[in-house]
Amino acid sequence: QDYTFRFQSSDPAGNPNFEMQKGWAQSVNEMTDGKVQIELMPVESIVAHNETQDAIAAGILDGHVTDVSYFAGKDPAFGLIANPVGAWSDPQQMLDFMQEGGGKELMNKLEEPYGLHFIGATTPGLEAFVSKVPLEGVDDLQGLKMRAPEGLVQQVFAAAGAAPVNLPGSEVFTSLDKGVIDAADYTVFSTNQAQGLHDVAPHPVYPGFHSMPLVEVSMNKETWDSLPDDIKQTLEKSVAEFAQNQISSLKEDDEAAVAKAKESGEITVHDWSEEERAKFRTIARGEWEKVAERSENAGKVYDTLTAYLQEKGLMDK
Amino acid sequence: MNKDNPATTDADIPGHQQDNAIAEAGWIGRWIDAGGLLFAVGIVLAMLILMQEVILRYVFNAPTIWAHETTVFLCGIAFIYGGLYCTARDRHIRVVLIYDAIGPRLRRMLDIVISFICAASSAMFAWAAWLMVERAAFSPDGSVRLERSGSAWDPVYPGLLKIFLMAVMAIMAVQFVILAINYARGRR
Amino acid sequence: MEIFGSLQGLGIDGATLLMFAMLLALLVTGIPLAFVTLLVALIFALGWFGPMAVPLITSRVYSFVSSFVFVSVPMFVLMAAILDRSGIARDLFDAMRLIGGRLRGGVAIQTIIVAVVLAAMSGIIGGEIVLLGLIALPQMLRLGYDRNLAIGVVCAGGSLGTMVPPSIVLIIYGLTANVSIGALFTAAFIPGFMLAGFYVAYVLFRAYTNPNAAPAMAAEDDVPWSEKLTLLKGLILPILVVIVVLGSIYAGIASVTEASAVGVAGVMLSTMVRGEFTLSILKGAALQTLQTVGMIVWIGIGASALVGVFNLMGGIRFVSDLITGISDNPTIVLLFMMAILFVLGMFLDWVGIALLTMPIFVPIVTDLGFDPIWFGVLFCMNMQVSFLSPPFGPAAFYLKSVAPPEIGLGDIFKALLPFIGLQIIALGVLIMFPGITGR
Ligand code: NA
Ligand code: NA
Repeated sequence: QDYTFRFQSSDPAGNPNFEMQKGWAQSVNEMTDGKVQIELMPVESIVAHNETQDAIAAGILDGHVTDVSYFAGKDPAFGLIANPVGAWSDPQQMLDFMQEGGGKELMNKLEEPYGLHFIGATTPGLEAFVSKVPLEGVDDLQGLKMRAPEGLVQQVFAAAGAAPVNLPGSEVFTSLDKGVIDAADYTVFSTNQAQGLHDVAPHPVYPGFHSMPLVEVSMNKETWDSLPDDIKQTLEKSVAEFAQNQISSLKEDDEAAVAKAKESGEITVHDWSEEERAKFRTIARGEWEKVAERSENAGKVYDTLTAYLQEKGLMDK
Repeated sequence: MNKDNPATTDADIPGHQQDNAIAEAGWIGRWIDAGGLLFAVGIVLAMLILMQEVILRYVFNAPTIWAHETTVFLCGIAFIYGGLYCTARDRHIRVVLIYDAIGPRLRRMLDIVISFICAASSAMFAWAAWLMVERAAFSPDGSVRLERSGSAWDPVYPGLLKIFLMAVMAIMAVQFVILAINYARGRR
Repeated sequence: MEIFGSLQGLGIDGATLLMFAMLLALLVTGIPLAFVTLLVALIFALGWFGPMAVPLITSRVYSFVSSFVFVSVPMFVLMAAILDRSGIARDLFDAMRLIGGRLRGGVAIQTIIVAVVLAAMSGIIGGEIVLLGLIALPQMLRLGYDRNLAIGVVCAGGSLGTMVPPSIVLIIYGLTANVSIGALFTAAFIPGFMLAGFYVAYVLFRAYTNPNAAPAMAAEDDVPWSEKLTLLKGLILPILVVIVVLGSIYAGIASVTEASAVGVAGVMLSTMVRGEFTLSILKGAALQTLQTVGMIVWIGIGASALVGVFNLMGGIRFVSDLITGISDNPTIVLLFMMAILFVLGMFLDWVGIALLTMPIFVPIVTDLGFDPIWFGVLFCMNMQVSFLSPPFGPAAFYLKSVAPPEIGLGDIFKALLPFIGLQIIALGVLIMFPGITGR
């Protein structure tokens, strides 16, 4: 039997992430000998980025490739697992947590009641921080007017002494340009560079210290349950391979963009010391606890996450 | 162009000269018209909040975490209600090429048919909005929990806006039915 | 239950044709516009998929009304409604007439200049057309201008909001195409002024070939200096408001959307300074704003819903195949894309067109080796055409909502034809001389 699925991405068509996701859809087709065809649609083509969960449950879409934090309004647990600010310093740590540390089971526990099945995780990698002013550490964040859209990121920066401004992505460029804000949480270095953000904010912090989004590949639970086992396994495998490809390819892009930025002489790339990164992580952890109290599921995410980090020696007991 | 046409004369008067719902909208139209003030005040409030945010941020370096979400919410409910408001006042834009070419009797028939079609689609949208509200107002275990924005402030605006959209679609369906009845009765 | 899904038998090409035919047919019957697109979206959701697809429409309605992008629309309309109720606008035009002096068409040209200034203050259209429609149109008619010329100047000038930076069209394009928004703004700068220049040239041409179209103000010489000075006072408050709004944007005090609220506050303060402010004026202005934005936004709502349904039907793949199959010659493909934008502009709101075509066009454009920034400016220019082109011309609808009752929609569209011609010429110039964008 053949299957045709319609997935929506949370990235726009011209974004490198979207191209890579299309590559994944193609690979699924090849790995299943053409039995599974996934049509990948760019963001907003069917529904808005934060409405895909409902659309999948309703059977309008079959699945999505999206940043999990868009569903934090449904349950704070989505926000916490999507971006535990400061937890990861390398994408592989997060992928290992999802695969071996109970992350996958946790995600399904969160999503299945909403009618979705979590297939696997990927990430564009550590986001770089965009800034007009030189930032060398946590102290420089004091009073910094910065854009931060999603819950936990905004909360952590506020706790670190910054003045987070709530602006939509479409206003980031003009607001940075004119100095309404001095810094912004945006996305990975190469994309920031391509969209010209560094032209108006020439003091990026790279590698980033604040955010690494969890991107989920999920689909309608009933549809998933009806699939034969071999196809289920192939889908899981394809997502794992896709994650590795995406991470290495974006890392390459980032490094090339950083080299180019440094070469231009007009952009100063800042790299925080380990001490400063640790300071920021400590502040972040205090905020995780607050989120953990906001729902039962968020508490579960907190417990599983800290247990894993402690076991791996990434966090003090 | 359609000046002598009784059904659309109201629609042809610039906004500040017409202060009521059209007669055919009936009691519900008058209520909708009166309710407009609440949402109009919301727009002015949105303006004041934006001003306040600019001052707090620029002068005091203390931006709020609630101003933008509240502004978007106030404008969102005004946009939704504005559609209902225009329906009661027959102020939605209508292209009247055929409409104007036919006689008054046919025109009245057309008004009745149009109102019924719009009533049916509004009812359908109200039902679809209910499916959306089911997921925005209840958690999967059935307990009441309004969908939040997920921001640091995390207001229940998304849940409220979805419920509001459903309510407006339902009221709009009723409004169109009443319009259809009154057009049929030939009430002025 | 047989009806549900029955439209699939048509295939996507047949269904697309049927969709356009249905839009056109329903449009002329007098169904409120907002419901025409919503109704067609509903028919295709039911006819292609069944009831399960209908929540897609309400989901899009919800997302549309809750997007930050549209916050500046009620602000601009509120500004217009307050200005309309105060004497500020009338005084402004009296003063402008003085400055315009003996230049034929002077007030129309000044209206275009005001439009460009407004365009630099905002990134979206809707509010400005309402503003100019309430203020400039009655004044030009009062001064004896040809009605068609006056209407065209208001609609075409008011649409410049998305052509002159900042522009929401360019921002959305930049986010979709992953190109620098700053570079897009820079590239659109001269084309925006060029288009405004075309409008000015057209006004001058009309004024000097037909003196009745735009009367000269010879008599103004007789006004004594003391009275001239009094008249010129009318300029002070509007100029101050413009300085405050533009200043707040360019000094980094307010974001573009916030600046629209600064403008409202500035106009409110101005009415207070003039001793005209009352609560009943504010109430009337706010109620009119509610009505006007209800009308403006619901037109966009329907278009957005329709695009969602079309995409779900496989519209993206269909349009994409259509374009790539047309020719191997990049120029022909480009012109074909322009033609698609032109046709879509006749039926859809710009948000709908952007959502539908950008994901398809951008990868093709880059594959063909065209500069995506230059193409962004072309796209933006195309959207200028879409604002004016019938039967779905948002600029005409916005003006109709505030124009005197004797001006019908048909009159407005007739008046817009030469301006559409000017926009197409501007588009052609951009295609032939990409250098204008500085690329
Ligand atoms: Na603009
Ligand atoms: Na058009």
